[in-house]
Amino acid sequence: MKAMEVRLNVNGEAKQWTIAPGDLLLDVLRREGYFGVKRGCEAGECGACTVLLDGKPINSCLMFAAQAEGADVLTIEGVAHGSTLHPLQEAFLDHGAVQCGFCTPAMILNAKALLDRKPHPSEEEVREALAGTYCRCTGFRKPVEAVLAAAGAKR
Amino acid sequence: MFDRVEAFYRPGTVREALRLLQNGKNRARVVAGGTDLVVEADRSIRFLIDITHAGLSYIRRRGKACVIGATTTMATLENSPAIRALAGGILARAAATCGSVQIRNMATLGGNLANGSPAADTATPLLALDAEVVLADARGRRKIPLTAFYSGLRKTAPGKALLIEVVIPALPRGGRWSFQKLGRTESDISLVNAAAGLQLDSKGRAKWARIALGAVAPTPIRAVNAEKLLVGRKVDESTLAEVCDQVAREVQPITDVRASAEYRREMCRVLVRRALEECAAGTGCSL
Amino acid sequence: MSSGRTVVGHNVRKVEGVKLVTGGPAFTDDIQLPGLLYGKILPSPYAHARIKRIDTRKAKALPGVHAVLTYKNVPRVPHTTAGQAWPEPSPYDTYLLDSKVRFVGDRVAAVAAESRAIAEKALRLIEVEYDVLPAVLDMEQAMAPGAAVIHDEPDSKGIYDASRNIAGYILRGIGDVDQGFRDSDRIFEREYRTQRQQHCPLEPHITISWLDGDGRLVIRTSTQVPYHSRRQVAMILQIPVSRIHVIKPRMGGGFGGKQEMLLEDICGALALAARRPVKIEYTREEEFYMARTRHPQILRMKMGVKRDGTILASQLTVVATTGAYGSHSTTVQGNTGSKVLPLYRAEHMRFECHVVYTNTPVAGAFRGYGCPQGFFAQETLVDEIANDLGIDPVEFHRQNVIRLGDTDRLSAQLGEGKEGLPRIVRSCGLPECLDRAAAAIGWTGKRQALPAAGHLKRGVGMACTMQGSGIAGIDWASAFLKMNEDGSFFLQTGAADVGGGADTVLSQIAAETLGVSLDKIVITSGDTDTTPFDVGAYASSTTIISGGAVKKAAEKVREQVLRMAAKMLDTPVENLTCGDNRVSAVGKSATMTEIALHSMYKEKTQIMDGASHFNTDSPPPFCATFAEVEVDTETGKVRVLHMATAVDPGTAINPAQAEGQVEGAVAQGLGYALTEELVLDGAGRPLNPNFLDYKIFGAKDMPKLTTILVETDEPLGPYGAKSISEVPINGPAPAIANAIFHAIGVRFRKLPIRPEDVLRALREKETVADDQCV
Repeated sequence: MKAMEVRLNVNGEAKQWTIAPGDLLLDVLRREGYFGVKRGCEAGECGACTVLLDGKPINSCLMFAAQAEGADVLTIEGVAHGSTLHPLQEAFLDHGAVQCGFCTPAMILNAKALLDRKPHPSEEEVREALAGTYCRCTGFRKPVEAVLAAAGAKR
Repeated sequence: MFDRVEAFYRPGTVREALRLLQNGKNRARVVAGGTDLVVEADRSIRFLIDITHAGLSYIRRRGKACVIGATTTMATLENSPAIRALAGGILARAAATCGSVQIRNMATLGGNLANGSPAADTATPLLALDAEVVLADARGRRKIPLTAFYSGLRKTAPGKALLIEVVIPALPRGGRWSFQKLGRTESDISLVNAAAGLQLDSKGRAKWARIALGAVAPTPIRAVNAEKLLVGRKVDESTLAEVCDQVAREVQPITDVRASAEYRREMCRVLVRRALEECAAGTGCSL
Repeated sequence: MSSGRTVVGHNVRKVEGVKLVTGGPAFTDDIQLPGLLYGKILPSPYAHARIKRIDTRKAKALPGVHAVLTYKNVPRVPHTTAGQAWPEPSPYDTYLLDSKVRFVGDRVAAVAAESRAIAEKALRLIEVEYDVLPAVLDMEQAMAPGAAVIHDEPDSKGIYDASRNIAGYILRGIGDVDQGFRDSDRIFEREYRTQRQQHCPLEPHITISWLDGDGRLVIRTSTQVPYHSRRQVAMILQIPVSRIHVIKPRMGGGFGGKQEMLLEDICGALALAARRPVKIEYTREEEFYMARTRHPQILRMKMGVKRDGTILASQLTVVATTGAYGSHSTTVQGNTGSKVLPLYRAEHMRFECHVVYTNTPVAGAFRGYGCPQGFFAQETLVDEIANDLGIDPVEFHRQNVIRLGDTDRLSAQLGEGKEGLPRIVRSCGLPECLDRAAAAIGWTGKRQALPAAGHLKRGVGMACTMQGSGIAGIDWASAFLKMNEDGSFFLQTGAADVGGGADTVLSQIAAETLGVSLDKIVITSGDTDTTPFDVGAYASSTTIISGGAVKKAAEKVREQVLRMAAKMLDTPVENLTCGDNRVSAVGKSATMTEIALHSMYKEKTQIMDGASHFNTDSPPPFCATFAEVEVDTETGKVRVLHMATAVDPGTAINPAQAEGQVEGAVAQGLGYALTEELVLDGAGRPLNPNFLDYKIFGAKDMPKLTTILVETDEPLGPYGAKSISEVPINGPAPAIANAIFHAIGVRFRKLPIRPEDVLRALREKETVADDQCV
């Protein structure tokens, strides 16, 4: 097995990492300390490993790290500005949308990608955006409300 | 899972990709979206060839045909105005049901077809659209009908060839279209999916018909005899009943943990009926 | 109920919320340890087999492998993995590793290696020769003469009848059911079947273990029971309790699946063998069949009623399977009787249950703990009775349900593995729950609506359920508080926040009692070195039991604060009050900071105290669940349109979190009703151990949710609180089955209710109708 280099931007910082050619992005991100990227099923079903790749949500468990060459990766660690939380993060806390918190990073990132593209989504669009993130705790009402509230706050 | 992979390539052209594929012999695999490949976790893979930078992400008009590059993602298809306008948007609609938002941002049209799954959601509308696929190998390029692309369960024609593009030829004038999917939940692999195309004459008789089904045979299929039965007839209650009976005879569903063969066969009737009714009503797909 | 209260009853933010929304290191796996090895378990490919020969030489020789364990090189100590109070009422029928395997997925061997890839390769290099034995997969066959005996080992203890594969047997009753049935005008009896449901926590089971600088075994693990796990690991690995340190970080969900000492023993054993840190994390597939499930049951429910609808007698006869090991076997099934039948005021009740071993994945604790099965049977039958008698089901419930002041005598008969304590209803919001949930769903209008034309048929259905709040006389907890110079307080509790927000609720109780704002409470929980004992997070106990301990400890500390302030302000204690981060009397006050500084540096006194707490009763929370469904009569698909759930949790310490508990439970209950089932093939192998084919409800599947908290004031709970996490999971399945009946006139008595089953039943109904026409 040969090592290779991958260069990418993570949360706005340029990174160059030595990886194995078969390494998956999820494993590399966690290895580099991005613990907000969760391992939930490794099959692209639960969505807990979601990151934004060039602004679009993807399952990092299904992507080879080498495929992220040159890309902008956003993980949950890069969503707040310093100690100022993103409106979605505030809304998730205010609406009781966080229970165990394991899927929360993925929900917030999916919601962020939606709001960046469509600032005033319908409830149906919010549910579509969250449909790729399984949550076993909340029943989704509060997360959906939180996203809609964050969209309203940005108005 | 992929600890035995020795090299990861990112060719910038199809030619380069083909050369790498050739060199890698049986141990090289093409990766596009990766959404099926990674889950499969085939331990024999030594070389990965990422074709998503080989210039195959496009949707173009070529003459009267619509041409889609193999690495075009489901999300792109789903949101493309051209694809949404094409044939009542059945391909866009099918792409929109292919897994979650995250999956659709990764999964590609070529991957969905080349994976060879009988449940591939985009295959059924493409069959109804008489689509062709363009394969490239060291000898050159050839275009074959999608029906010929599938050779058996999870088997497709390419061999050492690369699926580089999908061609949707000119559509029958005034065609009406529908795509139907049945899953256990809202985000699910198809238990059954169906696509239909219909052209009616001035008297309301079917002049041309296409009926395609997924997840009910070793490959996505067209119900050719049911189509024949439909042509020349008025799309009324008794025709629909006969056509659906014929569809049920043409499919070969299996029983698995998702559903029984009997249920799938029954759902073929329901979905085809709904598809044809939607076509006849001319309401088309809503996106 | 929050009148005058400044913290309790308010929707404060989750105390660890910021860390969770920013992705900070929080969970078991969110650390990097130098030299960490990857542990992996070799699962049995057979449902029932003896290991004839096992050769680990090749695996051991593989570079990067640091430990290989089989039954040959580990202690053999019979135990249960059920995370229950000592002495556990579950049979001691499990071994760290054994020479016999009893289900597909049972442990054969374990390795620790430098990487996951090497660990997986090492497993492939272990040569095992099995003597494959006949397997018992069907619970109805398990007790039959000639069935293979699953636990034929001589050293297991506490099995009811190992020779007949009976892990446990329960027979309890009150009154005389036979007389009750004789006195009844009508008798109804039906059989119900429930399936194998899996918890599906988003974070699968994970444990990391290492030896600290003093050679003590540290176990960092996603568990609901840190203290029970410590005790059990000590026993299994034969090391003193004092040499083990269990740390529970934040958890990615548990739902009962982590009320289990599941990976802690083997991970600890590997760390001891390798003398290196070891991590074992289940893959999603492993989580499905190597962790735990809900107990599948076959229930025969019989009820006798008077013509006016009064229930006289009820009898529930159950066969349940615990899978290959008896974790939580009699206790879960005991609940199926003790928490279900007493919902009604019938004078005569009888509950009988055989819990049998089968060569299938192990069942265990799962939110609801035996009640979802029992209530599915009881509430579906009650709906049938009410319909048959021409009584509106809501009216039928009003007439028969347990009331304020009633004593549930069956609970006295059916405790946790022994006789229990009588249960007295000291708070009851059930009538209001019924009214408000019925109104929310539009019950009256929709019950009377004429059936729609076309293939989409709508219906409404309902169910009433209850649960407990902690295990009476068994569950106990303790808490400790100490004051800091800045007027803040450290709160230490052994309670295990599973993710539902226990740390927040306990902090709220402490803050309210001390009269300080929530930010003045800094909580540490679930760490066996730094926090006092707590049984852990199960049986809906944390708010009432751990919360009770926190309140007592806080009251003692408040007393010390007041005494200190009395000295400082030269005012009698009885004239002082705590509130607003200060102690006040008329005309003067001292801030908590001033009191703390005075106490520590003038009086040389640490203000601190602790308390323990338990209850001799388990106050029931009540719930009314109403469902509206739409059935597609062509595909058989059931779409749930609306779930209205009204719960009486006593006081809701944090209403938003309480609502979240209800809605999460409803989501799991919907899956239980309609889509979730771990299916095994004829050899006991799981057919759908993945989210592709085990379908849970996602964002687009969830219906409209209406959640109503009907607060009451429970005398035994802190600030009047009972519990809320479990009770709402019991109602969805029967409410949906009843709504489907209302929509299409077909009864479903088997879960999950799949589209195929609906379609088949509709066809059968048509056939019958056609025959009748002829």
